[in-house]
Amino acid sequence: MSKERDGQTIMETQMASASSGELQAPGDGVVIKAENLWKTYDMGEAIQVHALSGVSFSIDRGEYVAIMGPSGSGKSTLMNLIGCLDTPSRGAYWLNTHLVSELSDDQLAYIRNKEIGFVFQTFNLLSRASALHNVELPLIYSGMPQKDRLEKAADALRKVDLADRMHHKPNELSGGQRQRVAVARALVNNPSIILADEPTGNLDTATGEEIMGLFERLHQAGNTLVLVTHEHDIAAHAHRIIHVRDGRIERDERVD
Amino acid sequence: MSSFGQTASLPHALGVRSKTGSGAWVTTREAFWIALEALRTHKLRSFLTLLGVVIATATLIVVMSVINGMNLYIADHIANLGANVFIVSKYQWAQGYEAWLKARRRNQPIRVEEFEFLKENLSGYKNIGAAASMWSDDNSTRYQGHVLYNAEISGDTPSMIDIGNQKVESGRYITDSDYQHESMVCFIGHDIVDEFFPSVEPIGKEILVNGLPFRVVGVAEKIGSTFGQSEDNFVQIPLTTYRKYFAPRLSLDVNVQAYDAQQMLALEDEARALLRARRHVPYREADNFGINASQTIMDLWDRLMGSIFALTIGIVAVFMVVGGIVIMNIMLASVTERTHEIGIRKSLGARRRDIMMQFVIESVVMACAGGGIGVLLALIVSEIVDHFWTSTVPLSAVLVGLTLSSAVGLFFGIYPANQAAKLDPIEALHTEN
Ligand SMILES: Nc1ncnc2c1ncn2[C@@H]1O[C@H](COP(=O)(O)OP(=O)(O)OP(=O)(O)O)[C@@H](O)[C@H]1O
Ligand SMILES: [Mg+2]
Repeated sequence: MSKERDGQTIMETQMASASSGELQAPGDGVVIKAENLWKTYDMGEAIQVHALSGVSFSIDRGEYVAIMGPSGSGKSTLMNLIGCLDTPSRGAYWLNTHLVSELSDDQLAYIRNKEIGFVFQTFNLLSRASALHNVELPLIYSGMPQKDRLEKAADALRKVDLADRMHHKPNELSGGQRQRVAVARALVNNPSIILADEPTGNLDTATGEEIMGLFERLHQAGNTLVLVTHEHDIAAHAHRIIHVRDGRIERDERVD
Repeated sequence: MSSFGQTASLPHALGVRSKTGSGAWVTTREAFWIALEALRTHKLRSFLTLLGVVIATATLIVVMSVINGMNLYIADHIANLGANVFIVSKYQWAQGYEAWLKARRRNQPIRVEEFEFLKENLSGYKNIGAAASMWSDDNSTRYQGHVLYNAEISGDTPSMIDIGNQKVESGRYITDSDYQHESMVCFIGHDIVDEFFPSVEPIGKEILVNGLPFRVVGVAEKIGSTFGQSEDNFVQIPLTTYRKYFAPRLSLDVNVQAYDAQQMLALEDEARALLRARRHVPYREADNFGINASQTIMDLWDRLMGSIFALTIGIVAVFMVVGGIVIMNIMLASVTERTHEIGIRKSLGARRRDIMMQFVIESVVMACAGGGIGVLLALIVSEIVDHFWTSTVPLSAVLVGLTLSSAVGLFFGIYPANQAAKLDPIEALHTEN
């Protein structure tokens, strides 16, 4: 897959000047850095749920990381923070040397649009729009003219083997097909960071392997990948596995 | 400050997108697509929502059309009452009810002697004439088996043909000789010809006017009809004959034609002074007669139109506000309904202004559709009104209607759109609809 990372090059220009108070900004080559991240939900009556309780880690550019952990351990919560969709209750988070809490609304939108490709655990497809239109959405918000957009979206769908289902709406697709639409949508804008929350959860082994092959190629092209999975086979594709339990990092291992 | 440097290093979203092409246009088109989709899926709901805007727009356009139609009429007929003509008559035309009640007691009819007096003493007019007519259901015009009850029968001086807006089509008008000899001749309008002489030459025929025989000497050119009232339904006879047989004491309308507007004002003053002197009206008292010009009618018309318009604006404003509030309500419901969708769009890079745009455009498109339906409704109503009265839809009314309804959509769409735009992406995503 060809790469054009117009955003990234601009983001790299001011790497050096990153420091905010006592917090240590990440150095060059670090794409994601989390420092003591907490996510606490107040459930009223002084009951608090800690989805994350003090998570620190950093991910370098081009790394391929799998996050594993039991259900409810905070994996999706973490992914949402990494994807700049959610804000931590406490702690600091840097993306490409930018302290995310200091970014404006429009800059966050830009990051979500251009820098990050997010595959949601629940797909989050627009139910009233066709597969093609769903995949077009990120391109619409980056202002691409319709002709190029349709071409690119159709291309992305072809890559996930859905050329013949472009005009189907999500409710006319199988679970696995929906998941592949979600993958195509995450990849269509050529993001440099791909975040996937159980991208193969609904797929049979063969299709799952195909998607993993796609991810492998993206990794080889220099992209950073973070994916959540329950399956060891899938995690085996990654070069690093972060084990999460009860909102904490239990183990952070490198595999080769 | 380093943190400032960091944020500044991120491409400013607007700048980047305008460089990649017509970004704003792309998202606007998406917004239109969504808006039309929403209208299509909720046809009935949308229509009910839009009722206020539909009624407001239709009312506005119909009233503007009727006023426009009447304006055209006024311009065509009353304003052209005859160029630079004023009329001395028993009453002032356009005045309040109170004033009229007073005038009813005090004013004296205009007599033939007074007409002769003005004719002698007024200086330098172009034409002067007098006419008398009475609208009555007892008026009857007959020819062989046919009867007409509604023709206007008037007595005129020969000079009236040069003053009014009638022209001779065939034959001749009333002559000085007819006038002096109290001849039993008449000059008729086109409706009379159509009724009595559809395929016969009318000149020389004898018709019965209120039971008396008159010989047709001339036919007027067709004028047409306005306000559903024909302008061609008349029989004119010499004023002398009219006074002798029909209404000897009827007040006259003395028509004075000046050479230009400037002279007309001077002549009006002169006529007023002459008549007051002749009637010995005391210095401080008001005229006991009326001097009317087309300006008088125009003034009355302007006043009337002003109040009609104020009333209309009130009605339209109320309907528009009601319509706008209903639209706002529906848009708020729509935002709630589509919270999850907004979350998805935001997670894919939609900015606040993109979401804002989406909902504002939906609201404007909806209101504009209401305006469009209102325009269609107005065209139909106006067509019907035009059938028995007068109404011409001006393009400006259509434009004003559409602009106004769009503006209402814009104004009342902003609040719901802003509610949508400021949603938190993850909270919105976690909202199930
Ligand atoms: N909006 C919320 N309000 C309250 N608690 C929440 C909320 N979102 C998540 N949690 C809690 O945070 C914890 C972590 O949730 P999360 O979705 O991150 O788990 P997960 O690791 O992704 O699980 P799974 O493997 O089942 O997807 C759970 O205990 C969950 O109940
Ligand atoms: Mg999860």
